[in-house]
Amino acid sequence: MTRSRPGSPTLLAPDRRTFLKAGGAALASTLAMPYIARAQDNVLYVNTWGGPWEEAAKAHIFDPFTAETGIEIRTVSPVSFAKLAQQVQTGTYEFDVTTLGAGELIRAEQAGIIEELADAPYEGALFHNGVGSHAFATVIAHRTDKFPDGGPQNWAEFWDVERFPGPRSLQRYPARVLPLALLADGVAVEDLYPLDIDRAFASLDKIKEHVLVWWTAGAQSTQILRDGEIDLIGIWHGRYFEAEEAGAPVAMTWNQGEIERAYWVVAKGTPNAENAKKFIDFAVSAKPLAGFVTQADYGPLNPAANEFISAEDAERMPTSPKNYPHTFEQEIDNFGADIEEVAQRFEEWLAS
Amino acid sequence: MGATISRLGERPNLWPWLLLAPLTAYLAIFFLVPLADVAVMSFTEPRLSLANYQKIVTGTLYQRVFLNTFLTAGLVTLVCLCVGYPLAYLMNNSKPRTAMLILLLVTMSFWTSFLVRTYAWMVLLGNNGPIVALLSALGLTNPPQLLFTRFSSTLAMVHILAPYMIMNIYSVMRKIDPVLIRSAESLGARGFSLFRHVYLPLTAPGIANGCVLVFVLCLGFYVTPVLLGSPREQMIAGLIGHQIEEFLAFGMGSAMAMVLLAITLAILAVYHRRFGLDKLWG
Repeated sequence: MTRSRPGSPTLLAPDRRTFLKAGGAALASTLAMPYIARAQDNVLYVNTWGGPWEEAAKAHIFDPFTAETGIEIRTVSPVSFAKLAQQVQTGTYEFDVTTLGAGELIRAEQAGIIEELADAPYEGALFHNGVGSHAFATVIAHRTDKFPDGGPQNWAEFWDVERFPGPRSLQRYPARVLPLALLADGVAVEDLYPLDIDRAFASLDKIKEHVLVWWTAGAQSTQILRDGEIDLIGIWHGRYFEAEEAGAPVAMTWNQGEIERAYWVVAKGTPNAENAKKFIDFAVSAKPLAGFVTQADYGPLNPAANEFISAEDAERMPTSPKNYPHTFEQEIDNFGADIEEVAQRFEEWLAS
Repeated sequence: MGATISRLGERPNLWPWLLLAPLTAYLAIFFLVPLADVAVMSFTEPRLSLANYQKIVTGTLYQRVFLNTFLTAGLVTLVCLCVGYPLAYLMNNSKPRTAMLILLLVTMSFWTSFLVRTYAWMVLLGNNGPIVALLSALGLTNPPQLLFTRFSSTLAMVHILAPYMIMNIYSVMRKIDPVLIRSAESLGARGFSLFRHVYLPLTAPGIANGCVLVFVLCLGFYVTPVLLGSPREQMIAGLIGHQIEEFLAFGMGSAMAMVLLAITLAILAVYHRRFGLDKLWG
């Protein structure tokens, strides 16, 4: 199962990681074989998800950037937050820039492992010293062969096992699933955060026996939807389109799609900081970003990119002017509980 | 074997040790050192304490998963024995051609990657798979859910581990002197009595070998229960993986691995006292 698309573990597992308490450092140090610190002016090391993600980034961001600036891009994958922390501590840099999800970004800023950024490449780009790049959404999808008269259009209907009987699937990832459980229980989007954790678990109780698969990898979610192992699923939009393109009888709604953002950051203290900032400005500029998100199935966070996206491609993006009003955003900095503790409680809940 | 060693002992010969050196070095560097690292981490991550072990003893999640791991391993061992014993008997008591065919089938499955076999079960047991189709064709309007249940993960683990049971029992059955059976018959043992008092005790070492191997291998199963089961049936290896991947809880994962290792070694130690470990490999 590849983890190269939206929602690979690091991007998607923002706040649940403990290595800043020196957790992963020990293991990472025994495993990592960092490049010897380099100070070449014309090479920039970018941490990528590999696979289709990197193909899209190479075609639309890396190669055009090299053509314009003469700075060569070399890639290191997969994305590792542990490594980012590690290389700042050791002063040995394997990569200069990487992408982080919102939860990790906040923790990276608190831990002082990313450079401070002063200039926003576009209005509203900066968030806790990260530059907003692209977004993906967890959306409701269903099998049209099981529900020929239409599937659930919001999370309350997804929870309605009388009206929509059949096995379901959700991601085994509480920070993303608990808000959905609250929406299903009737909480309005604007009242969602901080989360009422007890109420969310009570809501999950109602659907637990109908959730046949708690998926953990993006490829797995596509497979069970495509093969009809489940009738309803909460799935990343890019993974949904893969199943649709494979010819499976499926449909989705953008309504109550849960958006999460990815941010570019610069590793603190890297000798390539200037080039790194130049790169990020380029990566979130309208045209390269438009090409990248179109190929990699994301939505651009720089609104200027929308100009370079065809109406047809925009249909597939959570951030397009048409789809965005139906969605809602994660508010990781207003989560309402210690995500680590919630995650452990979620695991206990699953096993019981 | 003993004679060879003593002869080598009289004339100091370093060759056997030199031949062993690469393998020993390999194991030391790539197995013992990392294992020691894991052991240290279980006490030092996130800080120097016994907290990780305390959590295993007191946390309901860990207790539940450990308990489930042993129940599953026990169940898989039992089913392997029930399936494997008659099959080994059949192999031992049929014509060479038939015996060869059964042996071929067992080993072919044995040589196929277990990941492939796990995915094969996903295809077979899926909602659009042949088994559900067959059940529907037989008139079952609401076929039972097969995939992602305890049934599917147990079935696949039995499939993967049964060859260990069959080969162990078969190798013991082959060595049984037919004269013993005939003597028993001449003394009046018949049918079940013959099996119960003569054949079964003679095959007991094979049963013990097979059971220990299957049980111990099953304790560490990772991919199969993760892919075919549900979180409710998760086993300890899956939980270790999840703790490290999702929470970067290296200390917790290491502590669970150490507990699993200690239990496995304890089982092998008991076996060794009773039968001798060297017998495990036939």
